Amino acid sequence: MSTIMQYILSGLAIGGIYALVALGFHIMWSSAKAVNFAHGDTLTIGALLTIMLLAAGLPLWLACLLAIAAGGVFGTLVERFAVRPFAAHSGSIGWMLATIAIGIMIESLATIETNGYSLPLPSPGVERAVRILGAGVYPQELLIPLVAVLATLGLKLIQRHTLVGRAMQAIAHDKQAASLMGINVNAVVALSFGLASLLGAAAGILIAPVVQASATMGVLLGLKGFAVAIIAGITSAPGVLVVGLLFGVIEKFVEGYISTAAREIVGFSLMILVLLIAPQGLFGKREVVKV
Amino acid sequence: MKHLHTLGFLLFALGLLIVPLTASNEYELRIFMLFLIYGIIAVGLNVLIGLTGLVSLGQAGLFALGAYTGGITATRFGFDIVMASLAAALVSALFGAILAYPTVRVRGVYLAVITIAFGLIIENVAIEWQSLTGGTTGLSSIPSPNLLGVELSGYAFYAVLAIALFAATLLTHNLKASRYGRAMRASSQSEIAARALGINVTTLRTLAFVIASMSAGIAGAFYSFLNAYISPDIFTFSDSIRFLLMVILGGAGSTFGPVVGAYLLTYLPEYLQQLAAWQTFAYGALLLIVMFALPQGILGTLDSALKRWRPHPRRSEPVDARTVTDTLRPSAQDTSRAELVTRALTVKFGGLTALDEASIRVKPGEIHALIGPNGAGKSTFVNTISGFYRPTSGEFEIAGQQLSGKRSDEISRLGMARTFQNTELFGDMSVLENVIVGCQQHFGYGLAQALVRSPRMRREEREAQRIAIALLDFVGLATHADDEARFLPFGLQRRLEIARALATRPRILLLDEPAAGLTTQEIDELATMIRQIAALGITVLLIEHHVELIMAVADTVTVLDYGQVIASAPPSVVQRDPRVIEAYFGGQGDLQPTAKANP
Repeated sequence: MSTIMQYILSGLAIGGIYALVALGFHIMWSSAKAVNFAHGDTLTIGALLTIMLLAAGLPLWLACLLAIAAGGVFGTLVERFAVRPFAAHSGSIGWMLATIAIGIMIESLATIETNGYSLPLPSPGVERAVRILGAGVYPQELLIPLVAVLATLGLKLIQRHTLVGRAMQAIAHDKQAASLMGINVNAVVALSFGLASLLGAAAGILIAPVVQASATMGVLLGLKGFAVAIIAGITSAPGVLVVGLLFGVIEKFVEGYISTAAREIVGFSLMILVLLIAPQGLFGKREVVKV
Repeated sequence: MKHLHTLGFLLFALGLLIVPLTASNEYELRIFMLFLIYGIIAVGLNVLIGLTGLVSLGQAGLFALGAYTGGITATRFGFDIVMASLAAALVSALFGAILAYPTVRVRGVYLAVITIAFGLIIENVAIEWQSLTGGTTGLSSIPSPNLLGVELSGYAFYAVLAIALFAATLLTHNLKASRYGRAMRASSQSEIAARALGINVTTLRTLAFVIASMSAGIAGAFYSFLNAYISPDIFTFSDSIRFLLMVILGGAGSTFGPVVGAYLLTYLPEYLQQLAAWQTFAYGALLLIVMFALPQGILGTLDSALKRWRPHPRRSEPVDARTVTDTLRPSAQDTSRAELVTRALTVKFGGLTALDEASIRVKPGEIHALIGPNGAGKSTFVNTISGFYRPTSGEFEIAGQQLSGKRSDEISRLGMARTFQNTELFGDMSVLENVIVGCQQHFGYGLAQALVRSPRMRREEREAQRIAIALLDFVGLATHADDEARFLPFGLQRRLEIARALATRPRILLLDEPAAGLTTQEIDELATMIRQIAALGITVLLIEHHVELIMAVADTVTVLDYGQVIASAPPSVVQRDPRVIEAYFGGQGDLQPTAKANP
């Protein structure tokens, strides 16, 4: 019983990270029909930058805030300089390659900076484990899924009640029409990349105390976040949240009962299987091709 | 251009002959053989990236799959180099198909993600399945390559690799110039138009990925023989990036680009080794620089420069006007059945009913106009009967054949062709090629014939070219045949769309607002053209706002309003229908064309 509880709780923690990352992909895809393939690296940026700022003597809360802000700036810059120049050409793969290139550069810079070591990020959330139904977890791990839920709700609120949020939805629906209605499409797209990266950097900071920060921490998390977005349907924010949490839990069970390698095999095979059966994802809407 | 490619292949063959003779030691030859192996991967990947515009970030995984298949079959079953690489090709192709098919029918972007994931799966399987792969310690003692039991010397092995790369380059070059390559390029430039011309985009993309997978697999088998040892950590994500970079740097879509790219990136690491930790960074930076400074790659950029320096001479072949008539006139029993009927066709978008039980009958051979105020559901109607939207209820058929539920490419193959309101040309292809893409469904030659340029393939291609030129002449574009489509003025782009649609030899032609944006004179010419098309026995469904044009050409006019058919009669009757006048002007009045257009 306690083992099962343990798997569920730690699964929800890592699942919350997947959900946050996938939410970022959802936001970017909705507005730009393109994503930042270096999105996983925003997690690395968030976590490593926090550690560096802490080392420079800043208090934890300020270090976190600055790192998250830096993540947001990074996302906006990527959109401006690596996505937008290629987005005009429909069907262009330029943005994909450019963002991949940036991802490679960041990862290798981070490797050089950290000498390839993993670094701890101290957090009050991992000082003492708590026991829930026999399972031991850090408060930090309980916090993560909560943040994911709040972020999804927050996104919905922004989309419903703010001008920027409505503009984002308008652009998702029809870029050209939105632009004709006086919406500054470029600005809103840049903003949504920024928003996605804020979430990414925050996710990196949240998970780093549990798994340690390293140059390569973001790659796999980013990839799994995309897998979650594909399984859920990249068009659905609530779907991404549910699938993200679920994916984390399933992974923990496979890891626990079979092996770590099996975890990756099962997780990604699941993604391909879902694509076969439900091409638009479990919660996604079929996109009507505008002719 | 053709001679340039022949020259290229000659030089390439010469280079492959000279290198082993000049190599001063075994190490040098070995590095060159490594280049040949990478070249095979890059040439195959070029089909995916250069022709279909999709990206794979998992070629290292497929390379590994091939290497393990080759290594295992050679050690366990004593396969020779040909058998082992065939086995590797088969296994990689199979996995390629399984990966690509579900992915590319949704979004091309997904392929990049799925392939990264696949690379990870392969790595993990190679680690886990110790009994087969040797786990992390890898697979050693792979026997030296033999052919039919005869052990290959270093030079003989070299020859196998050189022939393989030369053949791969030649075959993909042939593929590019065939109907498969043309359709792949078309679908990467406008998926919608490709589907409307009867091209099954999903199958083509899957084919492209299978080709890329096979060549990575074969290269893998060769690699396992060259190295005699393989382990999971040889095949990393950064190798996938390197393979991708080979194609992009050399020039995606060009014949020799990937070979050049593979050459540069095989020898570059020798120099980059001094950079140590910065090596990966250098790959990223190089990719970024290429994307901004040299997006067409080395050979692509050279090619464009050459074209600017020596543009194509204008074509001046005599055109036999009978070609158009002979090609397009449907056989006698066909004409009587080219009838389009819709029954209670309803399309709802959420709460909005765009089309409300629309029942329309387009009689064979007539020019049928569909009009209605903005938002009446005209475009929805066209997009539904051409298979782009799914009707909520109701059905439609052509010549008694049920079409509801069929995909747009299937509907096109059953004889329905269309043009687009916002033109959907294959911008980077020539005007002539655009039309030949329209001939796609009438080619009979298969993939094998395309790869070897069989006499049948050449004959059919010549015939398609003759028909395409005649069709261009028919719409008045013959002198523009070799221009790039995106440089045509707007009015001519519309004509090109018509020629391209006609190339499918349709029974019924849907023209979606063909007069929009045209000058008065162009509209007059359009009216003449529409009459000529109808005179060939092709049913024309004309969606139009332009009242003069409709009154001038239409036999029957159907009026849509709020998704419902409110009138369907000859133009003179419709003109006086009070409901139509009401729909257009909101009150009493007379819908008379201006004085000039007198039918």
